[in-house]
Amino acid sequence: MALVEEQPVAVKFTGMRREMGGLLLRGYSLLLPTIGLYRFWLTTWKRRFYWGNTEIDGDALEYTGNAMQLLLGFLMAVAVFVPLYGLFFYLSTLSQEAAFIGYGGVAVLVWFLMGYATYRARDFRLSRTLWRGIRFDQAGSPWNYAFRRFFWSLLVIATAGLAYPFMAGDLWRYRYRNSWYGDRQFGFFGGWKLLAMPYYLAWLACAVIGITGLTIGYSMGALPDDGEPNFLGYVPMAVAALLIGAVHLLYRARELTRMLSSVRLGEAGLSVTLRGRSLLGQYLLFGLALAGLLVVLAIGGLLVLGALAGDAFADGAFDMAVFMQHLQSSLLVLLAIIFGYLLVLAAFTIMAELFLGLAFWKLVASNASITGIDSLRSVRARGEDRALAGEGLADALNVGSY
Amino acid sequence: MSIPARFHDGLTAEVRVAGLEFETVGAVGTLVIRGADHSEIARWPAEILYALHSRKDELRLGASGQPDGARVVVQGHHDVARVLATIPQLTLRQHQQTGREIRLAVTATVALAAVIAAYLYGVPLLASRLVTVVPPAWEQRLGETVAQQMEASLDGEAGFELCDDDPDSLANQGIERFGNEVLAGSGSPFELDIRVVKSDIPNAFALPGGQVFFFSALLDQARTPDEFAGVLAHEIGHVAYRHGMEQLISTAGTGALIGFILGDMTGISVAAGLGATIIDARFSRDAERQADAFAAQAAQRMDFNPAGLADLINRAGADDEFARALALLSTHPLTEDRKAALEALSRQRPTGLQPPFTTAEWSAIRDMCRVTGN
Repeated sequence: MALVEEQPVAVKFTGMRREMGGLLLRGYSLLLPTIGLYRFWLTTWKRRFYWGNTEIDGDALEYTGNAMQLLLGFLMAVAVFVPLYGLFFYLSTLSQEAAFIGYGGVAVLVWFLMGYATYRARDFRLSRTLWRGIRFDQAGSPWNYAFRRFFWSLLVIATAGLAYPFMAGDLWRYRYRNSWYGDRQFGFFGGWKLLAMPYYLAWLACAVIGITGLTIGYSMGALPDDGEPNFLGYVPMAVAALLIGAVHLLYRARELTRMLSSVRLGEAGLSVTLRGRSLLGQYLLFGLALAGLLVVLAIGGLLVLGALAGDAFADGAFDMAVFMQHLQSSLLVLLAIIFGYLLVLAAFTIMAELFLGLAFWKLVASNASITGIDSLRSVRARGEDRALAGEGLADALNVGSY
Repeated sequence: MSIPARFHDGLTAEVRVAGLEFETVGAVGTLVIRGADHSEIARWPAEILYALHSRKDELRLGASGQPDGARVVVQGHHDVARVLATIPQLTLRQHQQTGREIRLAVTATVALAAVIAAYLYGVPLLASRLVTVVPPAWEQRLGETVAQQMEASLDGEAGFELCDDDPDSLANQGIERFGNEVLAGSGSPFELDIRVVKSDIPNAFALPGGQVFFFSALLDQARTPDEFAGVLAHEIGHVAYRHGMEQLISTAGTGALIGFILGDMTGISVAAGLGATIIDARFSRDAERQADAFAAQAAQRMDFNPAGLADLINRAGADDEFARALALLSTHPLTEDRKAALEALSRQRPTGLQPPFTTAEWSAIRDMCRVTGN
């Protein structure tokens, strides 16, 4: 190996938004005739796109999973959910207090299971990721992770968020120290100390902004004890909420930068620099794109409904009763509304994928570089890990990302 | 001549820059992978080659029998096209794979459609079977919970106010006697608890466990005892068939199914609720028909015309635009068909039956909400 310090190797992302858009459009149009089952194929195609376009030192990642595995995993998760569903049903029929306590219990159980599910899903994705012919993998126990996450989150709630850096440090460490590339184990050298400063600053900023917004809103009469609220008073509160969202994004960029840059793989190290303003820009673009698309959809929807149920819009006013009568008597209007709802839903998820999901992946990939990459050439393959069938609960709980 | 490629052996994370050549001996073609120094790295016969999914203008080849991660990667539009032209089996195999995937997706979709169809027809049946194993005590408790929730949502904290809180009054006695006579012989495990309560909403409904609520606004609109008796008998029909419980079971099942389709098993999305409501409206229409038939049967034993119930519901619905607006989701479809069906059922009633209420009882019932009310 060369004695001179190697230059860090930049990660490249070669995917185009247009390509992803086409993939999503095709996928969503196939969701309808397949009664939703195509989502497993869509997820698989999306991952192939993300993985296959992420190039490290000349070689792209490869996603080796397939739709059947996801479908099987989902069926298994359903087997877990059916008894839970029965429990839900039984609780809802008991006395009001019992139902309330029962719902709470089920919610806590689901919150716990989400930790298990996210860890399993990460395992599934890593063990189906190939780079230079060598597979990644994740060891560790999903139950252990679920317990950690669960109790940390209780502590975070109990301390009004102050314990968060400790939780983040612990969970990041657990995830990465249990990750493998071939026979080489990942290391993680970050911790709460890296997060404490930015987190507490953000926490303080959020508290100040929130209290200020609430106070101004309250003094303007947005939340009167009785009588009509002054709607103008909601403006400072909305502004405060937006500002808090922005602070959250700025913090998130900082956390990802510091934590991802603490990941090591033997002598190789990852280095990521995310700018908060890039993340903010993504959300701004997403908001604009979504608003534009929704306006187009709304105009189209009104035209369709106007053609089908014109008299409800007579005299320039909307007559709810007449409209509802149409709903009742005409299957066509009902179908148009359901279709419209699905369109809006699809518009939202497609825009989110294009302007948040894809943009985020691209941002992270193109701001990442790897040092000491030549040291990875000696990594050897490990035995196969085919025990995982699908992402299981992650699908049913909707926690799987990418 | 050779095509540039990158080679991963699947054993170490080494990448080798290679050149590809294709040899044909007779009918057998072999891909020969050579290193930069032209030495042979590997030979992969064409029949074990397969192409993997990859980004645009990139071809990733694997080979069965080789290590799982072993790959030959060709980049660039031109070179990819050359390889594909040289080894037509690759395209063929990819088409076969696509065909398998499509068949799989179609099979899964057909299976799901079959499940949905079986469900649409099976669940009402299943729910009516399941209802018979639900312990009556449990259903009764459930009915009380539902009543509490309903009172809280409709009337605020105060709850419903009875029109006549004396259970021994002429009106209440008459209603109770009528109710018991209608329910008699149906084998219902429940004891009826019919309450006429004050409310501006013209409505009547039965809850699981034998509770029947009749709102004063609906009573005010009744012109004949037939109409009142018809609606009451209809609601008692719901009690006898345990429709409330049945509905609850099928709603839970529908929610599970919709969640399955949408992949949202927590069922919190709007789509889940909307879909479940539409499917359940179908079930409840069958239940309404059953309850109508039950009322018509009761009219074989007592002298009232069950078609009156359609008159009263229509009249109440006509006045109330809000109720009409919600008729899509309503359990009472206000159609002419329904009245026609009831009239057909009541055509051959025996004569000389006892009226449902005595004249004195009926006038007491008519006045029960006015006297203690206003």
